[in-house]
Amino acid sequence: MGLKVYADRMSQPSRAIIIFCKMNQIDFEEVRIDISKGQHRTPEFEKINPMKQVPAIIDGRFKLFESHAILRYLACSFPSVSDHWYPNDLTSRAKIDSILDWHHANLRRGAMTYVFNSALAPALGFSLNAQAAEEGKKLLSSSLLKIKSFWLKGNSRFLLGNAQPSIADLSLVCELMQLEVVDSEERQRVLEPHQEIRDWMENVKRATHPHFLEVHGILYKVKARLESRRNRVSPKL
Amino acid sequence: MGLKVYADRTSQPSRTIIIFCKMNQIDFEEVKIDLSKGQHRTPEFEKINPMKKVPAIVDGRFKLFESHAILRYLACSFPSVSDHWYPNDLTSRAKIDSILDWHHANLRQGAGTYVFHGAMAPAFGLPLNAQVAEQGKKLMLSSLSKIELFWLRGDSRFLLGNSQPSIADLSLVCELMELEVVDSEERERILEPHQKIRDWMENVKRATHPHFLEVHGILYELKARLESRRNKVSTNL
Repeated sequence: MGLKVYADRMSQPSRAIIIFCKMNQIDFEEVRIDISKGQHRTPEFEKINPMKQVPAIIDGRFKLFESHAILRYLACSFPSVSDHWYPNDLTSRAKIDSILDWHHANLRRGAMTYVFNSALAPALGFSLNAQAAEEGKKLLSSSLLKIKSFWLKGNSRFLLGNAQPSIADLSLVCELMQLEVVDSEERQRVLEPHQEIRDWMENVKRATHPHFLEVHGILYKVKARLESRRNRVSPKL
Repeated sequence: MGLKVYADRTSQPSRTIIIFCKMNQIDFEEVKIDLSKGQHRTPEFEKINPMKKVPAIVDGRFKLFESHAILRYLACSFPSVSDHWYPNDLTSRAKIDSILDWHHANLRQGAGTYVFHGAMAPAFGLPLNAQVAEQGKKLMLSSLSKIELFWLRGDSRFLLGNSQPSIADLSLVCELMELEVVDSEERERILEPHQKIRDWMENVKRATHPHFLEVHGILYELKARLESRRNKVSTNL
C-alpha cells in the first residue's frame, strides 16, 4: 500500500506537499478532504489525523501530520528526492529548519489571519473581521520585510542565496499564493513594495513548473468566484 | 572557538537549549542577553540574530536561531548526544518533528500569550491585558487536552509513549514551566484537571535533574518578585 496524501488544495501546506511529491516523482494517491464541507471533522478522518487538519499522510502503516514534518520525512525517505530540497549537510539543513520554524508565528500567522478575515471567512461559514485582517496584514508586511532583508539578500534566486529551491521556499511561497483570493488592488498594494519577494515567487513557480500552476488551479477558481461576488456587492465605479 | 549560546533564562526556549547542552555534556559559553534591559535590540546582538530574539547560537562561524532548529542541529552534530533525544530512525524522528511543529501555533502561542499578558508584562514595563490573556488561556487549555489525548495516552512516561525524553518533551515542558510566574491559585486551577500533564512534567524534571532545577532558578526568583508586587497592589484596597 503506497503513500496517501490527505489534502485540500485550498490549504497552503496541502499544496506544498502535493507539488513536492510531483516534483520528485514520488508516487502517491491524493485523497481530497474538503474543508468547506467539514470533511476534516468526520470520525474517519479523525482516525487519520486526530488534530483534524490537512495535510496528513499515511505511508504504509505510518501516519503523520504537520506539513513541515511531512516534507522532512519525504525528503529523507525517498531516494528520488534531490539534495537541494533538504540538504544532507548539517549547517545547510539547520538554516532551512530555522526558516521553517520561524514561518509558523510569522508569515503563516500574518498571511492566514489577513486572508481569512478579509476574504475567505464567508466560504467557510464565518464573517469577515476588518480589525483582525488589519493586524494580520501588519504581521504579514513585517514578515515580508524580514524575508527580504535576511534570506533574499543581494539578488538571491531562492532563500539563503541558494541556486535551487528548498522545502522552505516551497512552503513559504505556497503560503503567499493564498493572497490571490484577496481583492486584486489590495493584493497589489501589499506586494508592490517588495520586488525581491515577487521575483522570488516567480523563481519558485518556474522551478516547479508545471506542477505549481496545476496545483494552484483551484485557488484561481475561488479567486474568480470571490471577485464576482465582490463586484456584485460593489460594482467598480 | 567553541559553542556560544545567547540566552535569557526567563525565555522558555532559551532554557531548553541550556538544559539540553548540560544533559549531553556539550561544552558551551552562555552569553546572557537580558530581555528586560532591551539587550536583544542592540546592534551587536542584531549581528548575531537579525530577528533580535533569544535563543541564538554561534558554533565556530556558523550562526543559528529558532530553538527547534538549534536542538536538531546540536543533536545531529555532537556525538555525545544520546539517540533518544532525536532518534536516527526516520519515523520516530518524524513523529517528534510533528510535535515540535504543532507546538508553535498551539501550546506556545497559548501559554506564551496567557503568561505574558496575564502576569509577565510588567517585568518588561508593559501593562497586563486580561482579554488577550483569556484568549491565550483557552488555546493553552485545549492544547493541554490534545497533548494528553494523543501523545500521553495510556501510561506514557514521555510523549509518544517513549521511555526516555526527546527534544519535544524538553521544549514543551520548559514552555509550561513559565506558568510558575502566574498567581499560584490560578496555576493550580489550570493544571489540577490534568494529572497526566503534571506527571509528565515531573518525569521530565527527574530525567534532567539537576540541570532542570538549576536552570529554572531565575523563574522562581521572578515568580517571587511578581507575587510580592501582586500582594502590594491588592493590599492597597
